[in-house]
Amino acid sequence: MTDSTPVLELRGITKRFPSIVANDSIDFDLAKGEVHALLGENGAGKSTLMNVLYGLYGADEGEILLNGAPVKFSSPKDAITRGIGMVHQHFMLIPVMTVAENIVLADEPRKGGIFLDHAAANARVRELAAKFRFDIDPDTRVERLTVGQQQRVEILKALYRRADVLILDEPTAVLTPQEALDLFRILSELKADGMSIIFISHKLHEVLEIADRVSVLRRGKLVETIPVAGATEESLAQAMVGRAVLLQVEKTPHSPGAPLVQVDDLYVRDDRGIEKVKGVSFEVRAGEIVGIAGVDNNGQTQLIDALTGLRSPESGSIVIDGEAYDNPTPKVMTDVAGVGHIPEDRQHRGLVLDFSIAENLALHDYRHEPQSTRGWLYPGRLVASARRLITEFDIRGGGPSTAAGALSGGNQQKVILAREISRDPKVLIAAQPTRGLDVGAIEFVHRRLMSERDEGRAILLVSLELEEILSLSDRILVMFEGQIVGEYTPAATPEELGLAMAGASSHEAVA
Amino acid sequence: MNVAARILQPSVKVTGIAGILIGLLAFWLALPPALVRTPVIPVILGIVAVAAGISVVTRGHLRLGYGAVVAGVLGIVLGLLAIQSGETHLRMVFTWGGLLAATLSYATPLTFAALGGMFSERSGVVNIALEGMMLVGAFFAVWGADVTGNWMLGLLIGMGMGGLFALIHAIWAIHFRADQIVGGTAINFLALGVTGYFFIQIYGNDGTPDLTSGSWFTGESIPNVNIPGLGRDSFFGQVIGGLNLMIWLSIVALIVSYVVLFRTAIGLRIRAVGEHPRAADTVGIDVYKTRYAAVIVSGMLAAMGGAYLSIGFVHSFNQNMTEGRGFIALAALIFGKWRPFGAFAAALLFGFSSALAQQIPPAYSDSSLSVLSSSSLFLILPYVLTLIAVAGVIGRSVAPAADGRPYVKQ
Amino acid sequence: MSEQTPKLESGSDMNVAPTTFAGKLTERFNSAGAISAVVTTIIAFFMAGIVVLATGHNPLSTYRAIFDGTGLAWLIPGYGDRSAGAENLQQTLLVATPLMLTGLALAFAFRCGMFNIGGQGQYLAGQTVAVLVGSSWAGMAGPMHIVLAVLLAGLAGALWAGIAGFLKATTGAHEVISTIMLNWIAIWVADYFFGLNGPFQGPVQFNPISSDIVSNTHLYVFWGNPLLQGLDIGFFIAIAMLVVYWLILNRTTLGFEVRAVGYNPEAARYGGINVRRSYFMAMAVSGMFAGLAGAVDILGWQFHLATPDIHASSIGFLGIAVALLGRNTAIGVFFASILFGALTIGTSTRQLDPSVFDPALASNLTLIIQGLVVLFVGADLVVLGLWYKLRRSLAPSRKAPA
Repeated sequence: MTDSTPVLELRGITKRFPSIVANDSIDFDLAKGEVHALLGENGAGKSTLMNVLYGLYGADEGEILLNGAPVKFSSPKDAITRGIGMVHQHFMLIPVMTVAENIVLADEPRKGGIFLDHAAANARVRELAAKFRFDIDPDTRVERLTVGQQQRVEILKALYRRADVLILDEPTAVLTPQEALDLFRILSELKADGMSIIFISHKLHEVLEIADRVSVLRRGKLVETIPVAGATEESLAQAMVGRAVLLQVEKTPHSPGAPLVQVDDLYVRDDRGIEKVKGVSFEVRAGEIVGIAGVDNNGQTQLIDALTGLRSPESGSIVIDGEAYDNPTPKVMTDVAGVGHIPEDRQHRGLVLDFSIAENLALHDYRHEPQSTRGWLYPGRLVASARRLITEFDIRGGGPSTAAGALSGGNQQKVILAREISRDPKVLIAAQPTRGLDVGAIEFVHRRLMSERDEGRAILLVSLELEEILSLSDRILVMFEGQIVGEYTPAATPEELGLAMAGASSHEAVA
Repeated sequence: MNVAARILQPSVKVTGIAGILIGLLAFWLALPPALVRTPVIPVILGIVAVAAGISVVTRGHLRLGYGAVVAGVLGIVLGLLAIQSGETHLRMVFTWGGLLAATLSYATPLTFAALGGMFSERSGVVNIALEGMMLVGAFFAVWGADVTGNWMLGLLIGMGMGGLFALIHAIWAIHFRADQIVGGTAINFLALGVTGYFFIQIYGNDGTPDLTSGSWFTGESIPNVNIPGLGRDSFFGQVIGGLNLMIWLSIVALIVSYVVLFRTAIGLRIRAVGEHPRAADTVGIDVYKTRYAAVIVSGMLAAMGGAYLSIGFVHSFNQNMTEGRGFIALAALIFGKWRPFGAFAAALLFGFSSALAQQIPPAYSDSSLSVLSSSSLFLILPYVLTLIAVAGVIGRSVAPAADGRPYVKQ
Repeated sequence: MSEQTPKLESGSDMNVAPTTFAGKLTERFNSAGAISAVVTTIIAFFMAGIVVLATGHNPLSTYRAIFDGTGLAWLIPGYGDRSAGAENLQQTLLVATPLMLTGLALAFAFRCGMFNIGGQGQYLAGQTVAVLVGSSWAGMAGPMHIVLAVLLAGLAGALWAGIAGFLKATTGAHEVISTIMLNWIAIWVADYFFGLNGPFQGPVQFNPISSDIVSNTHLYVFWGNPLLQGLDIGFFIAIAMLVVYWLILNRTTLGFEVRAVGYNPEAARYGGINVRRSYFMAMAVSGMFAGLAGAVDILGWQFHLATPDIHASSIGFLGIAVALLGRNTAIGVFFASILFGALTIGTSTRQLDPSVFDPALASNLTLIIQGLVVLFVGADLVVLGLWYKLRRSLAPSRKAPA
């Protein structure tokens, strides 16, 4: 931090998408040898800003200056040649190739002009790895590496291309705490070596630990840029979450009944075989909404998958209304256990977009009376019950035979709500039920969830939106790194929850 | 796999390979020149092979183990069948020198086309149109040689037309992002129609004219290479003494393909594009250009295989003369796990089964009702083995990760 | 498989909406689909016409001669020679019959998101079983015998395709590769069965042909002269199967499941559908249609199976073109099969006037047209897909950026 000209400067960057301003005239600068954290909730505009910087999106307004000179990036290649390296959240590595091959790809050392010089590639990679004390063998295939090691390969890729600005997009999201510590050590060494680093995160303690300065984004706007030295987790949480404007939902006093969901010591792995749910226990009673708050990728998805039969748990027990379900199928959980599921991914999982509304509404019930008898389907009955539900749930934009893909997001969500609720489930699991919806649709969903609670259903609400959790839940559980790190009442402040979600209190006893 | 199995690996491997060899030996001994006529020996050897296989399986090395079990069972069955057949019949079929030479010549078109398929699929474009591209190569090589009077120009014209059909496939697969199976099917139909149409239009019902025999630089057919000093009576003389030039070229193509794909920067990029195009894109590789080039090379190589058939082997063209060889080449590619030497080994194996089938005398000359009396069943071998390979029973074949997926730039 | 190495996300576009091939070929394309199918066909005929013109023939008189050979003119009252027209139309419909069935076979698999390129092998499996059943048990009552032969042929096709479905469901083996392999296995097994010295070769020693089926298993010829290959009731079996196809897809839970899996396997799984079972069932039903095609050909007019015909046949491959052009709908498959049946007959040696255009050329012209049709169907899906995407993105905004 001796040079006064910033290595990189973004001035007034604005990026608009059809329905949203993702970046609203953002100023950002990066000094040499600095770690500058970019902090914000999901959807705050962090990734968009970095994609603009990396040449993936063009900005609508604003300019980028590199060492004081304006530059224009039209592709990642431009950014790379100007010394900008990026470690993507989803690694850009080829699993079946070796570490060295991945690193030198497109910039290969050669013998005689065309032949790949493996020895030189390996030597160069060894040299770089040794310099930063990476324990990596250049001849190992990437698929044999741990996630932490793969991330180091990504960093080496940037170093090999002589990057002097390194962007890390939520680098700890896929790491174990131990691997995260290793990463921080590496980042310190890179920094000492003169590298300038942009560190994207929404975990407060990490930012405080590694960054020199922090810029906080909220809803596409830059809230503040401050030195970390004076900041606390509380102050950052407040800046990140903002003064919550709570949507008011009329809440009747809650009178919980018998426990309908009992989860005990549940462990679940993800597709990569990584343990994402680590010993979770909780219960949900009839007539209450239990909210699970947490930052994305802390095991919520795998928890829901296990509860709905879409993923087999590693160990632990799931009891629904007194019955234990070990390794159930999705069919058993919906038909036998009576679990309704509003999935977080509406278009990939919740709906068959090419199916009509009527068919989507019957996605579970097509196999039961009266929709079908012994394998014989009655489309007329599908349509009749669809008409009823379309009226009841106020689904607009089409009739029973309209393709679900032609509906707006809010109405698509109503189709899912109608389907899951009309089956009279004992338990309703709602994952991010209002993601991407407009205010009117959000209100509808919230009111409906509330009335279903009053009907006596047990509702598990998983959301990344703190306001939603606070306004709907009767009890709040905070999930962090696969564990439930705290239980709160709706009277808790967003700051309290934000701290817990960011792992601030993970070392303390569970409340 | 547990730790113990890993430590034991060397000896397990030896046992497994020995098991496979013993299984093959069980069959071999029943054939000329050994011609064992008692069922005891193949049965005993087969059982030893199966036992070795089972012990290898229990020690955790499934692929080798099941391989040995299969080899043992095949050894017993084929050995017994051979013993059932008459001695004269066996001697007629298993004249090893001629059999191996025929194997090489049947393998050659497969090798060219499989290498072609490898370039295309390694870059991420599925190519089930190898059949059509071969056929195009076969016809236009004859036409070119006939018109120019020179086999080299004929070969080049055939390759050019193969490349042109490949270009259509590439445009559909890469730019239109059309389903690559549909595109490939269309190319196969089109190739069949276009070659048949121009064949009839140009040559009518008389067929292609006799091609003049070729030497190194002149003549209309591709010459054979006579290796001086290898007598026609010696075993090696029989096998490699008078092979067609294209057979040697296929070996050159094999080595060059291997070097290009696995020893050069270009090859690394082709493979990167076929495995993870976005990763390749983020480091600045042009995914589309790479794929176009790979698919066109693929068509030219397949056309070389077809040209060998027409102006190297049978010296004429007839409609649909490739008769599914493009699909066998595809099978060889898959069976060889998308690797050059693997595909070549598979092509040799499939060529051997074709050679064996061709060597078997017309069925009615032999009254023994053994499987060896029918050539058809030997022609099934490539397909059965490939089916087993894709199902993953013995060593799973896994395609390049992005094979068949169109790439959309962000 | 339980190794602890983490799996990388490889390949491209994992996060793009799962638009399967079936998804692209959906009913919602129906209205535009009919038009684009016609346009596709016209372009193909036009381009093939250029080839005809370039090689020194008159495309108009060529197409006119081919059209006269198809017998479709019989449908126009007062046009041409009525009795010759009727005979030609019988031949056209006779060829359209198995095409309809193999077209349905391909279409059904497409609807489950699978490409069953093995229609040819399944057709052959059906032919083989039909011949074997039809030529055995000579004492059995005709109708019983026919029903048995047809059912077993359908079953044989279902089993043959079921192998590919089973492998996909259990090991993930790609159905395109496995069905190609199964095609050739079927061809060589049938070649072995009915070839010289084969276990089921017919009575003539030097003839690689099966025995004839017994005469009471011949399907009834309802139009034309039975001795001149009139049209048999196999045609109605095919028409009935069009209805069955529609019923299975739209009126059974199996069809619901198959369509759901074809459009979006992940949502289907979420809905409680057993995706693997759907893959298997879809292939089995698909193979059944192809097997029935084999049965109607054998029982309708071939009466025996000759090994040269085994190698020459391309009914199963043509099914691909029929299904694609027919956009996987029953009605589309009907018209596409008539088109390709007519094309095949119109260019045959028997029907085409050689003084106008050499039939040997014409049959290759048919192949060119088929190739072009498939090629442009492949491309127009893209055009339609883009159009729908455009329309969707212009619709009221509902997609917030991530």
